[in-house]
Amino acid sequence: MKLIELDNIFKIYNEDMENEVRALNGVSLIIDKGEFVAIIGPSGSGKSTLMNIIGCLDLPTYGDYFLNGQLVSDMDDGELSKIRNREVGFIFQSFNLIPALSAYENVELPLIYQGVRGDKREEMVFEALEKLGIEDRAYHRPTEMSGGQQQRVAIARAIVTRAPIILADEPTGALDSKTGETVLEILHGLHREGTTIILITHDSRIASTAERIIRISDGVIVQDCPREEAEL
Amino acid sequence: MNIGQSFKMAFKSIFTNKVRSILTMLGIIIGVAAVIIMVSIVEGSNKQIRDYYESMGTNKINVYAYKWSGEDVTDELYEYCLSLDELVLGVTPNAYYWGGSIRYKTVSTDKMEYGGPQVYMGSDQFSLCNNFEIEIGRDISYLDVKNYNQVIVLGARLKEFLFPYRDPIGEVVTIGEYPFTVIGVYEAKDPNSTWSMDNMAVVPYTMVRLLNKTNRIEEFVVKARSKKDTTEAITRLTGFLSGLIDENSGYFSVNSQNQWMEQDEKATRIMSLVLGGIAGISLLVGGIGIMNIMLVTVKERTREIGIRKAIGGSRKSIIIQFLIESSVICAIGGILGVTVGYLGTLVAGKLIMDIVLTPSVTMTIGAVAFSVVLGIGFGMYPAIKASGLQPVEALRAE
Repeated sequence: MKLIELDNIFKIYNEDMENEVRALNGVSLIIDKGEFVAIIGPSGSGKSTLMNIIGCLDLPTYGDYFLNGQLVSDMDDGELSKIRNREVGFIFQSFNLIPALSAYENVELPLIYQGVRGDKREEMVFEALEKLGIEDRAYHRPTEMSGGQQQRVAIARAIVTRAPIILADEPTGALDSKTGETVLEILHGLHREGTTIILITHDSRIASTAERIIRISDGVIVQDCPREEAEL
Repeated sequence: MNIGQSFKMAFKSIFTNKVRSILTMLGIIIGVAAVIIMVSIVEGSNKQIRDYYESMGTNKINVYAYKWSGEDVTDELYEYCLSLDELVLGVTPNAYYWGGSIRYKTVSTDKMEYGGPQVYMGSDQFSLCNNFEIEIGRDISYLDVKNYNQVIVLGARLKEFLFPYRDPIGEVVTIGEYPFTVIGVYEAKDPNSTWSMDNMAVVPYTMVRLLNKTNRIEEFVVKARSKKDTTEAITRLTGFLSGLIDENSGYFSVNSQNQWMEQDEKATRIMSLVLGGIAGISLLVGGIGIMNIMLVTVKERTREIGIRKAIGGSRKSIIIQFLIESSVICAIGGILGVTVGYLGTLVAGKLIMDIVLTPSVTMTIGAVAFSVVLGIGFGMYPAIKASGLQPVEALRAE
């Protein structure tokens, strides 16, 4: 079942000017529900731009993007924020937690935007925090936590809405290898429960744990195959 | 996201940046306090003017008429004034004795520091027309007038001078060469000023023959029942007098204190507009300060805005969040400003006018409401700016 369908996507900055940059130069891609996909490529290859477009953080310059069969490229701000809220959970390399809020409040935020009621919210937040084993850190601020703990809070925030897609942009990039492995293990756990995982990394060792590997270079897909066939 | 959450978020952000919030509020605090103090002072002085006129008597008409020929119009005018009784509470002749001092034993009013007293000759309605109240003794009566009694009622200032700390009732004072028995003293109306309305005395108007050697009385004071009746009485008196006297035969005037009061009130109204305007400008400057800070906040929190957008914050929710933040800052500033304004008004009232001044409730509510409107107004641009950021770009911010 097609979950994500990209049809000839271009992302061009400063189009028709001297300093024109083509971050994506005609990318077509289909990702089915329940896949675990790794997108790899050197820095500047356009993999982050691709993730931003999949996650509706950015709109393509040209090309159509369908999510669940709906054309995203035509949506207005309200609809896009709804998709970011309900369909996608983001995990960033730099965690992107709001420093003024506690772990609990950070995780709670997407539910507030969704309009979930207070008692139900508390239940969902603790369920997510417990799942990642950081419920004892609930009332700490991000600055009072280690990198691994912060990333776990960020993952809790990504899964608290039970979004069907998790987008992880270098989730282990700022962590030591041991903590990184734990985070990766969490992602695999979510995958086993049926969540579609899209992982962006430049680390081939991490990519090798995915089911499918997409290699991108200079804004085009140069390789798209199951892990077993991929040259890493 | 609901409004309650937005308020919670706004308070959180205000309290995590305490110093900045207070500095931002300062503009609003000073602005609101300035508006309240200035307007209160103007209103206070306006009230003082009104009180002053009221103590002299509102709805009081001074009628003045004489003929070049010296022909006497006193009786006709007096009778006409009395005939207006559906408009009028009281009428009194208002003659002056210019002759000189009043003496009691060896004390003479020649020695009074700011000039001698004004001696009036009036009827039993003199005190009614001129807003005097008897404090001790009795007022001039109809019989005193009718029987040519040589009696006198003293104003508070004159009593104090001639009879300090003594009961003057029954004592005899001398005006010119004529003895007058003191029958009463009026309450003080104007205890503070040196050139006082209380430095006066009244004798029956029938004494005009004795003191001024004439039967002619050129001035009357008419006390009308209301503001409306004052206008009507002026019209009628003017009509009556123009039938009696023309430019060639004499002169007359019909004036009421109301006119002067209205003129003075108009002047203070203009002053209140000017001062209120100046204070309003300071409030505006405070508002611009808010906008400035909110813009800085937007810049500082670009990343936070990006994160909020990435996890589902819509444009609308970001706008609401920033608007609520700036209006809460303004509202708190407004309330603190009202507090400072009240204290300032009390102090200013004491220092400048020596009275207890309190700002009006309407103005207080208005000031707070205005500062909230200011918060929304000046928060709008930064809020829109914040909400318009692309999530990717916002996330990239340091």
